[in-house]
Amino acid sequence: MNPYMVPIQSLTVQRHMSNPWIAIGALAVVAVAIPMSMMVASRLLRPSVPEQGKRAVYESGEVPTGDTRIRFNIQYYMVALLFVVFDIETVLIFPWTVIYRDAVGEVGLARALLPMLAFVGILVVALAWAWRNGAVRWIRSPRATKQRVDRQ
Amino acid sequence: MQATATGNATGNATGTTVDMLVDVAGLGAYGPGGEAVAALAVAAVIGTLMLTNTALAGPWAKRKITAAFTDRIAVNRVGPFGLLIIVADAVRLLSKELIVPEGVDRPAWDLAPLVIASSALLGFAVIPFGSGLQLADPETGLAYVFAVASIASLGLIMAGYASNNKYSFMGGLRAIAQNLAYEIPLVITGASVVLFTGSLQMSEIVAAQTAPLFELGPVAIPSWYAFVNPFAFVLFLVANMAEIGRNPFDIPEAPTEIVAGYQTEYSSVYFVLVYLGEFIHIFLGGAIITTVFLGGPAGPVLPGIVWFMVKIWGIFLLTQWARSAIPRVRIDQLISIGWKGMLVLSFANLVLTAVIVGVIAG
Repeated sequence: MNPYMVPIQSLTVQRHMSNPWIAIGALAVVAVAIPMSMMVASRLLRPSVPEQGKRAVYESGEVPTGDTRIRFNIQYYMVALLFVVFDIETVLIFPWTVIYRDAVGEVGLARALLPMLAFVGILVVALAWAWRNGAVRWIRSPRATKQRVDRQ
Repeated sequence: MQATATGNATGNATGTTVDMLVDVAGLGAYGPGGEAVAALAVAAVIGTLMLTNTALAGPWAKRKITAAFTDRIAVNRVGPFGLLIIVADAVRLLSKELIVPEGVDRPAWDLAPLVIASSALLGFAVIPFGSGLQLADPETGLAYVFAVASIASLGLIMAGYASNNKYSFMGGLRAIAQNLAYEIPLVITGASVVLFTGSLQMSEIVAAQTAPLFELGPVAIPSWYAFVNPFAFVLFLVANMAEIGRNPFDIPEAPTEIVAGYQTEYSSVYFVLVYLGEFIHIFLGGAIITTVFLGGPAGPVLPGIVWFMVKIWGIFLLTQWARSAIPRVRIDQLISIGWKGMLVLSFANLVLTAVIVGVIAG
């Protein structure tokens, strides 16, 4: 406690503590302004010579065949689902890591660590299950497998 | 001579550059408006600084380093050491015609370069550069920087899908597969460092690394987390390589397989922005590694900001070394390494660190 009964404000040096998110917003403005100014500079400098031939997409010099927006076998969709699970879990792990050291001092090692060990343990078991069922494997399409066999 | 590596580290006591500027220029009286003015000034300094680094790295240093690795001579005609090639390349690239390919998805195709370049630059908001240069210091600094660094993936998939090119599309999909696989190990390894500091604030993480770890004769080795937990450091380095898409994890743009991946159809200023974004992202990865594992701007004799630049250029050199020395992994190998190797190792690291920290603290 303050023994001289003087308001705290008069003893401590008045330091300005600005809102960090205003500063981050300012960098966001700068981070958009820099590319934008480059685009404007380029617009002033560059020529425009429209020709039909050069607008074709570059597919190694061949005449492009077919559309790109087709049904495509995304071979890692199972991995993407797993990612969502683990991503949410990192959100839950971060607060724990912040308070962990203090919590060990206050409630002891067992109560601070064991619940998180159980939580991570469940996830590891889940990963092992997904691994065993081939979810984290790059699935070769049937056609690619067939081609490989044909070549032999 | 007692050489400590702790002299120049900025603790929490100094505050951010914006606070300092507000105090010095007396902008406090104008409330949030005054803060915004000060913040814009500091943000412009940081933007210029990172742009300068990227200009040096992209057209010049990268060529010089690769040439040195492959026993060739690179750019040496324009200016001293070929340095003016930076100006020449900037003018050359900006004055190229912008060719818009047929069938591109127009708003997405135009926005992708902007997203890639801006998001990488935005990550530097919370990085303590040393010598008092730090824009913002929120309590959630580390979580913020991870979050912002992964916005770039969105730009990559936009570029890949909107280009209407099969190689671009493959590149975009590969970029997503890679980022999904290595994001979790990266963040979990970062979290294992938070167990030591007990704070996500960047200034606190730097301040926690100033204490000497042990004395080696006259030199005090500081408790940088690269020395405290070398296992986590190596894991983080590898995951970062994948996150920024450099060798051996450069399959999203693998030039010998899919032309240039998601950047195939970009020309003129859009190509510059995509390329610039990639380089800023490499430096952002280096800045995160430096802050979290290498004591931030700490170092003897020289000012903090010089040490910070030395360290992020060290990480940049490492990526260029890997680019010249390590072959690219295949996509199925990449998925296996990420989900079966890195993820398991990063959780082992987290649990082991928690046990060790708990036993010491308890």
